[in-house]
Amino acid sequence: MAEEKKEAKIVGFLCNWCSYGGADTAGVSRFKQPTDLRIIRVPCSGRVDPLFVVKALESGADGVLVSGCHPRDCHYSEGNFYARRRLEVLKRFLPFMGIDPNRFEYTWVSASEGQRWQQVVTKFTEQIHNLGPAPKREEKSDR
Amino acid sequence: MRIGVFICHCGSNIAGTVDVKKVAEEAKRFPHVVYSTDYMYTCSEPGQLEIQEAIKKEKLDGVVVASCSPRMHENTFRRTVEKAGLNRYMFEMANIREHVSWVGVDKEANTKKAIDLVRMAVAKVTLNQPLFPKSFKVNKNVLVIGGGVAGMQAALDCADGGLKVILVEKNPSIGGKMAKLDKTFPTIDCSICILGPKMVDVGQHENIKLYTYSEIEEISGYVGNYEVKIRKKATYVDWTKCTGCGLCMEKCPSKKAFDPFNEGIAPTTAINIPFPQAIPKKAKIDPNYCRQFIKGKCGVCAKICPVQAIDYEMQDEIVTEKVGAIIVATGYSLFDHTKIKEYGAGKYLDVITSIQYERLLNASGPTSGHILRPSDNKEPKTIVFVACVGSRDKSLGVPYCSNFCCMYIAKQAILTKDHIPDSQSYVFYMDIRAPGKGYEEFVRRAQEEYGVKYIRGRVSRIFKRGDKMVVRGSDTLLGTQVELEADLVVLATGAIAEEGARELAEKLRISYDPYGFYIESHPKLRPVETNTAGVFLAGACQGPKDIPASVGQGSAAASKVLSLFSKDLLESDPQIAHVNEMLCVDCKKCIQTCPYGAIEEKKTPMGKIVASVIETVCQGCGLCTATCPPGAIQLQQFTDNQLLAEVKAFFHA
Amino acid sequence: MTDREEKISELIKNELNNVDFFIAYGRGYDPIHVKPLFVYEEKDLDDLVMNIFCVHNNASYLKTVKDKKVGIVVKGCDSRAVVQLIQEGLINRDNLRIIGIPCTGVISIKKLKEKMDISRVTEAKVESDSVIIKTSDEEKRFEKDDLLADKCLWCQYPTPVIYDHLVGETIEPSRPKELEYKIVEEMEKEDLNVRFEYWNKELSRCIRCYACRNVCPMCVCQDQCVMESRNPHWISLKSNITEKVMIQLIHAIHLAGRCVSCGECERVCPMDIPIFKIKQKMNQIVEELFDYKAGIDLEATPPLYTFQVEEAKIKEREW
Ligand SMILES: Cc1cc2nc3c(=O)[nH]c(=O)nc-3n(C[C@H](O)[C@H](O)[C@H](O)COP(=O)(O)OP(=O)(O)OC[C@H]3O[C@@H](n4cnc5c(N)ncnc54)[C@H](O)[C@@H]3O)c2cc1C
Ligand code: SF4
Ligand code: SF4
Ligand code: SF4
Ligand code: SF4
Ligand code: FES
Repeated sequence: MAEEKKEAKIVGFLCNWCSYGGADTAGVSRFKQPTDLRIIRVPCSGRVDPLFVVKALESGADGVLVSGCHPRDCHYSEGNFYARRRLEVLKRFLPFMGIDPNRFEYTWVSASEGQRWQQVVTKFTEQIHNLGPAPKREEKSDR
Repeated sequence: MRIGVFICHCGSNIAGTVDVKKVAEEAKRFPHVVYSTDYMYTCSEPGQLEIQEAIKKEKLDGVVVASCSPRMHENTFRRTVEKAGLNRYMFEMANIREHVSWVGVDKEANTKKAIDLVRMAVAKVTLNQPLFPKSFKVNKNVLVIGGGVAGMQAALDCADGGLKVILVEKNPSIGGKMAKLDKTFPTIDCSICILGPKMVDVGQHENIKLYTYSEIEEISGYVGNYEVKIRKKATYVDWTKCTGCGLCMEKCPSKKAFDPFNEGIAPTTAINIPFPQAIPKKAKIDPNYCRQFIKGKCGVCAKICPVQAIDYEMQDEIVTEKVGAIIVATGYSLFDHTKIKEYGAGKYLDVITSIQYERLLNASGPTSGHILRPSDNKEPKTIVFVACVGSRDKSLGVPYCSNFCCMYIAKQAILTKDHIPDSQSYVFYMDIRAPGKGYEEFVRRAQEEYGVKYIRGRVSRIFKRGDKMVVRGSDTLLGTQVELEADLVVLATGAIAEEGARELAEKLRISYDPYGFYIESHPKLRPVETNTAGVFLAGACQGPKDIPASVGQGSAAASKVLSLFSKDLLESDPQIAHVNEMLCVDCKKCIQTCPYGAIEEKKTPMGKIVASVIETVCQGCGLCTATCPPGAIQLQQFTDNQLLAEVKAFFHA
Repeated sequence: MTDREEKISELIKNELNNVDFFIAYGRGYDPIHVKPLFVYEEKDLDDLVMNIFCVHNNASYLKTVKDKKVGIVVKGCDSRAVVQLIQEGLINRDNLRIIGIPCTGVISIKKLKEKMDISRVTEAKVESDSVIIKTSDEEKRFEKDDLLADKCLWCQYPTPVIYDHLVGETIEPSRPKELEYKIVEEMEKEDLNVRFEYWNKELSRCIRCYACRNVCPMCVCQDQCVMESRNPHWISLKSNITEKVMIQLIHAIHLAGRCVSCGECERVCPMDIPIFKIKQKMNQIVEELFDYKAGIDLEATPPLYTFQVEEAKIKEREW
């Protein structure tokens, strides 16, 4: 059971204007959340090259979350529209490489949605705990 | 590098659930960290001084503060390090309050998380580069959107301060809701009597250019240099000729047109001037009712108009204006009570809204200020007011309080007694909210001097019995059911976001809350600013508020613009994209995706074609960086390597 | 020389004045190994061949000759790379002369190698649906379809989609489109962990030679490729499995919506790693989501460099 309490390694890329603000709002409102997630602030979800997600997963992340403004609300008007396409493609692609697509989610949380942020973090963390630690890659040298 | 780390207790806000000493201790082991300490309030003056001293003493060239959200204090600390001689961008924050101490319960886990966040911030700051802002010229015109009382106040203050103001109002006249009101609480002075002169000032001010019956089509640019496309909707009357004589209204044969100004309680003519005090006082045709448009023949107004102003062929026109700042004052709208079945869904003539009631009370309204109920034009003797119709009701999707209804109900009840001395008013309410200056006294007067009977409880049903309206509800204080027979029922419909508020927000790139009200930069400290530089808020578009508060915000927004424009040059944010010309392969992907058209191609002295960022146009979104395959274009302060360093710092701890 | 080869020679001869050089196919060290032929003058044409062994995608060279005037001989599949390069503004149509060759398929040398020793081939020829390979000590006859490259078995563009001259008659697509993503679907029958281990095993062999990237007609970054860069530093130069996986993920992601399914990456891999499967998966996703195939429409924009406010096929997940 002690195993179960172990934190998962989860990283989140949050856009400064909406989701990072939403996470702040959750904080100001003292909405309690699991502690596993580490947030990296980016200006916009459009800044999130899908390769960051891949890199995090390959570096040993058990879960990666990207969150931006709701479509149409991007501070830079279009960033999340591009992000949506790129991240959706990635999400569908990961399982082909044997990576559980549930280890990666992207979503939209606005600066006022503290409660929603709490929900997202709680659910995603739970989802990752259910999946358990991500498998490690090992070099196979049978020729 | 020599990096200093400062961990803030924030009183017990952080230290209560994070072992700050341990975090500071751990930080000493991170690469490049030469100094690490904790402090009670890092943002306080002594706290900032401590950072500055450490910078000098320890020869720091990078600083990390672990405290609250960078959205709160990043600028504060940037200034702190700058004063100590460091470039302001050689600084990073770790958010261990909003994202850690306030949301996590387990102190051990919180501490571990805080350590990780500090390690990540340290890893990032090692790759920060000194950045230097560039100056650019400011266009000192200001755009005000919405000509209600808030927008008018903002426009007048800016204009008096010497700025050129472009005021865009979507209705044919300025004035907003206040122009429709009869009297105003808590002083009961005549609304149009105090507003009218202001409207005239706006109309005549040499620094104000008025576009009424116009809407915002498109906004591009950035603080100091916005370009705005305005759609002037067709009025079918040449306003340069129209003198507002009103002859056309007298002769127009189509007399059943919907009158938005009178909230539909009486019809108007297809060609009309909205109300006598309208600014500008010009006629416009409503093509939904005009016979020339419906039947293809009529032409009466064209014949009668003494100055030949009528033009049935008129088209919408798009004009472009350049401004440096924008004040949004688009106000609010009212809840549609026809959604509530129990209250008759709008099918009873004698169940009206309070804004309609204002028009019935108003001496220049359709009944000339006599209160006559719509069904039979008789004077009502028993009037029931229902508060919170579409306010504080989660099931209707409006959980918030509409702020001013309690007060105007008291006002309307008082005025009712003045108009019909032998009448009796009842008010169904949930709580009475009267926190303003003189407000509580005002409500008491309604109850004590004017005999208005307040019943605490919700109305469950309204229905017709003979020529009376029956209002059934509960009295929660007495714990009984009550049923009143009323001649007239007035519903205090709640304030909701203005129609089109969300679309406008998208054009302005500002955010709105789940209900469509605009979000200010900070709910306490920056109430009229938005997160988009150069865009300010005033009045009820930010949330329901009464006239004094709206006017206050109008002035506040104007003063923000005036101080913004007090300099001739603005500094551009240097956190923008930068092209490494060696790496760029001219694949054009960044040019294709930049939302601002901020990237162009150029030829280097070596003759190589590369991408190049136009510094004042780039807004720093980083889309290009995420797009560029070789990573040639990097968003300063959020480069691939900086973000990768954060990732690595977390995983390879 | 066959009739077809004569015609190609003739066309090139006439076009040589208009271009700096022509990229065609030429005789290699044996009958089954053809090499790209760079034609600068008439006498270079002596080596010209055009047959079932012309496997290369000549468009792979276009990225290196950006500003030159070039002529090129392309098969149906190759032509898609030309379209994609023009569409992205990476080459200029006006600088190009294109000879299109309607094609019924090329041989996969890998498949042939599995069936016979090919170290001493003396003669190779095609007779209707058979391929006959002679070596010093044997003669073997194969069903053509058994030797064709996978991509030829589902080919929907046997006739080039862009050309100035077409040599021969237009060929209508006759191969079943359903086969297009078969290699992907086969893989997806396996469990996630099986796939995970499959790639670990396959990619462990990678020697980081970058041949797959170098040959890819759409990999225009060349020396600036992030796979070998420290700035930005996406991957280290270590030869471990995570970096090898990263290489393929980078290639796939940079090619999303741009890969023209030419299969060159896999063909050239010296370690026989089935990396084309990865690209085909990406291509399938792009087609599903955006109804888009790269290298067909000159006017289109690769789907990841544009967007729709309402995306027809992307559903927002609820939380
Ligand atoms: C029945 C009733 C009685 C009231 N009585 C009182 C009272 O006695 N005392 C008091 O203090 N308050 C009272 N109020 C509240 C008062 O109406 C508001 O405080 C005030 O109107 C807010 O002013 P505003 O300028 O923010 O908004 P508004 O008055 O709503 O003005 C907004 C203006 O912006 C325009 N606009 C909207 N969108 C656009 C757009 N996209 N482009 C261009 N223009 C646009 C609108 O047409 C309008 O002219 C009452 C409200 C009601 C409903
Ligand atoms: S960061 Fe890049 S994409 Fe964003 S505005 Fe600047 S140049 Fe354009
Ligand atoms: S995306 Fe990168 S390589 Fe391509 S043009 Fe822009 S900066 Fe250059
Ligand atoms: S060609 Fe093969 S071995 Fe070479 S880098 Fe690509 S996958 Fe690795
Ligand atoms: S990724 Fe492979 S199949 Fe796709 S275009 Fe490049 S070489 Fe051809
Ligand atoms: S700023 Fe939040 S998604 Fe673009």
